[in-house]
Amino acid sequence: MNRTHAVFASLLLLVCSLAARAELVIEITQGVDNPTPIAVVPFTWSGAGTAPEDLAGVIDGDLARSGQFDPVGRADMLGRPSKPDEVFYRDWRAIGSDYLLIGRARALPEVVGHIQVEYELFDVNRQMMVYSGMVKGPASEARMIAHRVADAVYEKLTGIPGAFATRMLYVSVTRVPGGKDYFRLTLADSDGARPIVLLESREPVLAPTWSPDGKHIAYVSFETTRPAIYRQELATGKREQLTNFRGLNGAPAWSPDGNTMAMVLSKDGSPDIYLMDLATRRLTRVTTHYAIDTEPTWMPDGRSLLFTSDRGGKPQIYRYDMRSRDVQRLTFEGSYNARARVAQNGRDVVLVHQKDSDFNIAVLDLETGRMLPLTTTELDESPSIAPNGSMVLYATKHAGRGILAAVAVNGSVKFRLPAREGDVREPAWSPYMP
Amino acid sequence: MFDSRKLILLCGLVVMTGPLSFTAQAQSGYVDLEAEAAAREAARAATGEGVPADPYGVQPTPSYPVTSYGVNPAPIATAGTQSPGASGNYPASGNASAPVSAAAGPASGSNLGSLVLQIQQLQQEVMRLNGKVEEQAHELRTLQEQSLQRYRDLDKRLSSGAGASAASGSGSAAPVAAPIPVANAGAANRGSGGSAQPGEKSAYDGAYGLVVGRQFDRAIPAFQQFLRDFPDGKYAPNAHYWLGELYLVLDPPDLESSRQAFALLISQYPDHSKVPDAFFKLGKVQFMKGNREKAREYLDLVIEQYGSSNPTVVKLAQDFIAENY
Repeated sequence: MNRTHAVFASLLLLVCSLAARAELVIEITQGVDNPTPIAVVPFTWSGAGTAPEDLAGVIDGDLARSGQFDPVGRADMLGRPSKPDEVFYRDWRAIGSDYLLIGRARALPEVVGHIQVEYELFDVNRQMMVYSGMVKGPASEARMIAHRVADAVYEKLTGIPGAFATRMLYVSVTRVPGGKDYFRLTLADSDGARPIVLLESREPVLAPTWSPDGKHIAYVSFETTRPAIYRQELATGKREQLTNFRGLNGAPAWSPDGNTMAMVLSKDGSPDIYLMDLATRRLTRVTTHYAIDTEPTWMPDGRSLLFTSDRGGKPQIYRYDMRSRDVQRLTFEGSYNARARVAQNGRDVVLVHQKDSDFNIAVLDLETGRMLPLTTTELDESPSIAPNGSMVLYATKHAGRGILAAVAVNGSVKFRLPAREGDVREPAWSPYMP
Repeated sequence: MFDSRKLILLCGLVVMTGPLSFTAQAQSGYVDLEAEAAAREAARAATGEGVPADPYGVQPTPSYPVTSYGVNPAPIATAGTQSPGASGNYPASGNASAPVSAAAGPASGSNLGSLVLQIQQLQQEVMRLNGKVEEQAHELRTLQEQSLQRYRDLDKRLSSGAGASAASGSGSAAPVAAPIPVANAGAANRGSGGSAQPGEKSAYDGAYGLVVGRQFDRAIPAFQQFLRDFPDGKYAPNAHYWLGELYLVLDPPDLESSRQAFALLISQYPDHSKVPDAFFKLGKVQFMKGNREKAREYLDLVIEQYGSSNPTVVKLAQDFIAENY
């Protein structure tokens, strides 16, 4: 028992130190009406030293953040089973938990620095095991391993694949009184943990975006005093400048097959959409219009592009068909619709929608043409959709500062990710990681 | 506030273009970035200043290198050999007057300048008209779809009625009985004693015949007359229901009259077999009126109250919610 206490204490310490390291903290502001109670028992650790991470704590946090689960507090648990034969359903029925997750982590003897996590999910009311699984990986990626467990549990219980084992990019701006601002392009886990600064600059950094395989990113940086698009490999940090044209070089967007990048250039006059073949660097002009055409984004099938244009007098979303070259307007509600991003289902389009004087995030259903506003704050922008299509990450203002926030695509769940310092903006949710 | 809005609003583009923000664009036309940059370059040379207007209004500082890191701990790339301190190209916001003069830059004559101005005005006018055309085309398409949908709804109702009556094989009452089960209605009816009054049946059949014949505009006054003649008739609730349906088929639909007809049926004949359908229709009418919440209340009520007794209408309500909420 003493040993368990010691382990637990050290786990707690670890959590605290990790929380201190995270740049973003999470505040859930709205969940579903009746979140499902679930007990995630701390996982046991067998191996030298202490566990590399409080895995159950990470899973707990993921499920709570989804707004669809109400994890049971550890103090309320009447037992700490780690194996199926140690589970007594009445203990969990007594505290009103519908589901129970237990698990064990151990160091892999055959691969140094790797761990293996086994877990089982129980339906307390039906008194049966409903799912079991195993995840392996390096101990340094223990949080990612925990996110993968959470993904599996989430999928088992909701029918929708989880998107916790994903990452995000964002730009934070630190104001320096009497000096120039710091712009930092940061990579973090989907829960804001483990932030890594990928680029630090005294000049603006904008429009970060992911390659479809999650191995590269692209962004716009003003570091050469004019905007240019850069591509960066995450594993090595290797960077290359893709564009250096007169005028605008902006809004890069990778095609679903990863071979082409859509972008906005104004080298031939007004801003228009171009495609760059990434192998040959050859450019193809997509739109030719004296209006502003910008913010291209691909439909998941790669056959058409959505973009924002004010060719109708006010910014609205249009679709460009690659084959027919037809341009068709998609948004008709409201005087301002911009910055579209499409879910993997090819049906939900999240965008910035102006209603009265507020700029909100809304979701447009391409099949019915209906627009559903998701947020009610004043200045919401830069929506980015999770690879499972369930949540939208966006930038907003809260208490006078730029923060990130998230909302479910059906509007049911909301949470904020305020930064510890500075303003945070332009989130980009990664695709599923390999 | 507005500046920071502009700054972030359109991700890549706006920050790069400053005054090119969409909100400002309508007034400002287009900015030639190169010309703008050149102008700033000149201004800088003239004043000997290092940096022109900083977007955040802070003083320029000496150069800082830009560093980039991989995910691996070791920083790999170092970019920005050029001094980023010279942030000349970061556009200062607010110089919305730039476009005309910049675009007309090399042209000395004022005629050419006014020509450029006229072209810009024309472009904006065309854009505005283009938007109007897009919106009206969309509205037309929506209206066409709606009226087609209304027609299909009614058609389905009629044809399903015909099919059912053929199956039931009850000779003379056939056209009436099927879509609205009159036998049921009679039993549940308030004080109508279960049998039709003299002349009632033929009057009702006459009105209903107009519905079957798709003469909807004539069917409405026929049912109204029927209700005047037989206010307590056995088929009165059916007539209310049909009126509710028929008001929806008008072009444009008379939503308020339809709502009243369904509400009347519900309040006067609460036990009538068409009440669940009437509740569902009330939900639909409220939705068409734009009262999403009110509509949802009716639909939820249908699902809650008739979950076991009337699965057909519950399914309709559920489908409607799935489609629209």
